[in-house]
Amino acid sequence: MTQPSDEATGAQRRGIFTPELLDRCISCGFCLPACPTYGLTQVETSSPRGRINLMRAIESGALADDDPTVVEESSFCLGCRACEPVCPAGVQYGALLEEWRDHTWHGRRRPLRLRGLLWAVNRRWRVRLMGLVRRHARGGSRGAAATATGAEPATLMLGCFERALYPEVSRAAKRLAPELDVPRRQGCCGALHAHNGELERGRELARALGDALPGTIVTTSGGCAAHIATVLGRERVRELSEWLVAREGADEPEANGGDRPRIGLQDSCHLRNGLGVMREPREVLARLGEYVELPSAGACCGAAGTYALLRPGDSARVLDRHLDEIAAADLDALVVVNPGCYRQLEQGVKRRGLRTRVVHLAELAAERR
Amino acid sequence: MATTTRTATDLRAALEAVVGPDHVRDDAGALLTYATDATPLERGRPDVVVFPGSTDEVAGVLRFANERGIPVVPRGSGTNLSAGTVPHRGGIVLVLTRMNRLKEISPGDLVAVCEPGVRTIELAQAAAAEGMLFPPDPGSHTTATIGGNVAECSGGLRALKYGVTRDYVLGVEAVLATGEVIRSGGRLVKDVAGYDLRRLLCGSEGTLAVMTELTLRLVPAPEATGTGMAYFDDLGDAARAVSRVLSDGVLPVTLEFLDRVCIDAVEGYSRIGLDRSAGALLIFGQDGDEASIDRDMRRMAEACEAEGATHVRIAETEAEAADVLQARRAVLPALSRLEPLTILEDATVPRSRIAEMVQRIQDIAERHGLTIGTFGHAGDGNLHPTIVLDPADGEALERAHAAVDEIFAEAIAMDGSITGEHGVGLVKLRHLEAQLGADHLALLRRIKGAFDPNGILNPGKLGS
Repeated sequence: MTQPSDEATGAQRRGIFTPELLDRCISCGFCLPACPTYGLTQVETSSPRGRINLMRAIESGALADDDPTVVEESSFCLGCRACEPVCPAGVQYGALLEEWRDHTWHGRRRPLRLRGLLWAVNRRWRVRLMGLVRRHARGGSRGAAATATGAEPATLMLGCFERALYPEVSRAAKRLAPELDVPRRQGCCGALHAHNGELERGRELARALGDALPGTIVTTSGGCAAHIATVLGRERVRELSEWLVAREGADEPEANGGDRPRIGLQDSCHLRNGLGVMREPREVLARLGEYVELPSAGACCGAAGTYALLRPGDSARVLDRHLDEIAAADLDALVVVNPGCYRQLEQGVKRRGLRTRVVHLAELAAERR
Repeated sequence: MATTTRTATDLRAALEAVVGPDHVRDDAGALLTYATDATPLERGRPDVVVFPGSTDEVAGVLRFANERGIPVVPRGSGTNLSAGTVPHRGGIVLVLTRMNRLKEISPGDLVAVCEPGVRTIELAQAAAAEGMLFPPDPGSHTTATIGGNVAECSGGLRALKYGVTRDYVLGVEAVLATGEVIRSGGRLVKDVAGYDLRRLLCGSEGTLAVMTELTLRLVPAPEATGTGMAYFDDLGDAARAVSRVLSDGVLPVTLEFLDRVCIDAVEGYSRIGLDRSAGALLIFGQDGDEASIDRDMRRMAEACEAEGATHVRIAETEAEAADVLQARRAVLPALSRLEPLTILEDATVPRSRIAEMVQRIQDIAERHGLTIGTFGHAGDGNLHPTIVLDPADGEALERAHAAVDEIFAEAIAMDGSITGEHGVGLVKLRHLEAQLGADHLALLRRIKGAFDPNGILNPGKLGS
């Protein structure tokens, strides 16, 4: 029989989700084709609309928090937010997912691997320790560059895992944008926490980073940019390509003539779907060589923050299509704007034995200026 | 309790034998996500969800269900707006999204052949790549499947000039409830051998058979498209402009209107510079070759001016055209943001009575203290009165239901229809007799009985 629907009439609420966020969905299903996990499975349960129905069910008590399907889907979702730009009703799916994981993964129910990862970046000294052994960008006395130009102060964010895994990225960014200060005392932005069940800690870390980095925060990580913008406000943060394009004309030379490498891009999901930034990285790359738009450039590569570590099999299935396209386009370089994508594509390209070089936008731009 | 469990296990095992263990779901979470479609508030409770991969598997599932008398609800992407895919009597939800092969695009025969799970936009894009057009473009065409569009006989924005889905179905392969596979029509434009079952199946809402392959008509793609807009103080003027356009001998590809409530909502939401003082906005367009587009756009602009348009604009660039169309596309997002619940209807009247109908809808809205924005297809009289409300607000839902009943009664009284393109489904079934009459309904039931003697296909809906 047709049952009255509690979740739609708001009769019962456990308070897991912000009501305005959960009520926003009109169940039209326009999100289905945008969702990578729906693409893999063709199963509604693994789509944004299906997952919102699961969220509504735990909110109303129709399903238990530890229902196996609920637990599985909260983890199977990549959190790429590709469903947001196509949503006619403006559902903030990313925010709902954070609340879901905050509730479902809280404390001991969180996967063990994840706990280790979050522990490593939870304190500023641990993050600095990770960076200490690597030669990430340094220098620029606080506010000196800004005072010289009379502009608002701006600082370069080093990131947490990026500073340890890819220290060349921040060095390249500093060469491209010497006007940026690089304060030493900076920790993790908290995006990893917010996406993995520690929403409040994620916000705290972002606020602490905001205090440590005065003025505009320029970051080489799309995922961090989106999280910082959510907590500190959009006006406080610029992803590097945004910063470079906004400065255009000042000292942005054409690519050194002669060779025109074929360059593709992997968008950062949260940069594209959360902040709507997609024109700027393409504009930078078009100056460096022959830019090739891959059909899946805007789709999640499967790195998805901690996803590649937690669900390596699914992560690889999501990546496969990207590798097929990179191989078919015979790219010289595949450019990333986020450290997670960097690692994911670097490993994937290596595994396939492709000749394409995976490189961060900052590195390629600094090389070819 | 033990009996229930054994029955569920039997059901699962039998279906797994047909489609394989990976393609049967009966976990509570999966059942919940297949309990609804895009219709607000309507919710069923399926026993199992099955994903067949071939015509043979569909036949196997139906034979089993028919023997046991288990309800079967066929489903594509679940974008239905009349609860047509809500499994309100339980049973099997038969999801056809795995059957998504586009088998052929034939420029020579001007046809496409595909399985039902192909998304409509994929079909349209594949046709466009070969220089052809598949005209039906319902609002959900990015998500909806072609099988669902045929089962519902979907319309879209180009219906006045190009017709609706039924005008493009040349042939179907379908599995009967008893498991036999039939074909009706094919690649031929002319074919009168037998009753026209492909047309009967088109719009049958999953109650007669399960379609497993479709042969669709394509047309040569037009060279270009022109777009324009006109403001009116009064919707009556806009409606007269529509009549004048058509009697001047122009058959436009686009003729859409927004009423005052919609204009206000769109501008409030997207700030694209609409004139909030206007009483109606008409969006018009033509496709074809450059010369005929220029001529028709000019004639349509003149017709609008002759009927008192306060401002007329023809888009000069593609960017301007995109701006104009954005106003239409933003209506539903804009309305849906006003309140938590959006009820989208599709009452249809003869186009000469659009202004009268919109006025009646506004009277009904005022009488029930509701916000109802009306937009839709001015060229074919298909209106989308859209009610937005907060279900937490007292009896708002009851008032909305009463308003919908009155809107349907008005439409029927004007020789209109309770549904132009969304389907009867579950939510409009009780209004069907008022439109068709008792004898007609009795015939529908006899037809249903001939196709589906045990009444397993989407029971409790059309023909039940």
